[in-house]
Amino acid sequence: MNSIEEKLWNYIDGTCTPAEHAAIASLIEQDAIYRNKYNELLALNAEFAGMELDEPPMAFTYNVMEQVRAEHALKPLKATIDARIIKGIGAFFILTILALVVYALFSVNWHMGNMEWKMPKLNMPQLSGLLSSGVIKAFLFFDAVLCLYLADHVLRRKKTAKAA
Amino acid sequence: MQHKPTDIELIEQSLAGDQSAYAELIRRNQRFVFTLALRFAKNREDAEEIAQDCFVKAYRNLQSFQGQSKFSTWLYSIVYTTAMTHLRKKRVATDSIDDEDTFIQIENKPSGYDVNNVENRSRSYYLNLAIGQLLPDDAAVITLFYKGEQSLDEIAQALNMEANTVKVKLFRARQRLKEKLERLLKHEAKELI
Repeated sequence: MNSIEEKLWNYIDGTCTPAEHAAIASLIEQDAIYRNKYNELLALNAEFAGMELDEPPMAFTYNVMEQVRAEHALKPLKATIDARIIKGIGAFFILTILALVVYALFSVNWHMGNMEWKMPKLNMPQLSGLLSSGVIKAFLFFDAVLCLYLADHVLRRKKTAKAA
Repeated sequence: MQHKPTDIELIEQSLAGDQSAYAELIRRNQRFVFTLALRFAKNREDAEEIAQDCFVKAYRNLQSFQGQSKFSTWLYSIVYTTAMTHLRKKRVATDSIDDEDTFIQIENKPSGYDVNNVENRSRSYYLNLAIGQLLPDDAAVITLFYKGEQSLDEIAQALNMEANTVKVKLFRARQRLKEKLERLLKHEAKELI
């Protein structure tokens, strides 16, 4: 620590160590210079603490909220929708398209009339066998569960927002 | 007795889409944010612009508020960066705390006072006038410490500085404020005689 003032400010602010605090307290008690300076700084501290805050214009809150509302209105629709839902829908369509493409490729008759060249024989799984009524039922059941899960998610969010 | 929601509760409500909760947060902090902005801008129009900008930025980034510090500390850090950007745009030199030569004093009459009305010239008026003559950094540190209910660590967080640096800044700012206040009061006493 350097000057008397610095020591005293630390003492007033309570930022000195307990040992320093005790030492300064004893100096204030015994030394008139310290005591006078301490009283002067204490008065100054009270004066600084009593400074007044400026008042913003009356319509300040309203103006800020108008800006906030304007930002909300300008927000594109894609930003207001949960990105996970968008990704989920995207993934569903991509998988469906891929499945259809693969199925179509496997179902095509690659024989080309009199041409000598023949498609190499590939050991493809028989998809017609896979698309049995059981598989379709399972697929529909999965869809129903997914729908219920999403509905639950939406309802929960609404309930939380209402409770808040 | 009606329960007064905490800042955290108001933030949660705002995030859930309740705009009136955010309006309440603004009402709670607007005086201090405006005063702090005024310490940097030195005129009410710019201060209002900075303060409004701060609240809009805070709303935009409300989701990133982790709750590890006080909301006010987080908000004041936004005020500081917004004010600094504003000052840089306005090309007002505020870089060095020690460089008194770079300081440009711009009008900062406290609201509600008439300079020509001697009766209104209280010590509080002169205190505001003296703060207006300080460097923006000094004025901000003094205001944060005395009116922002912020500890030295919180001020350091808001101003993105070390706590020790803030302690030194506060000490120097108080010295300068004391000198300016004494000068103003001496000048006033001479005027009255």
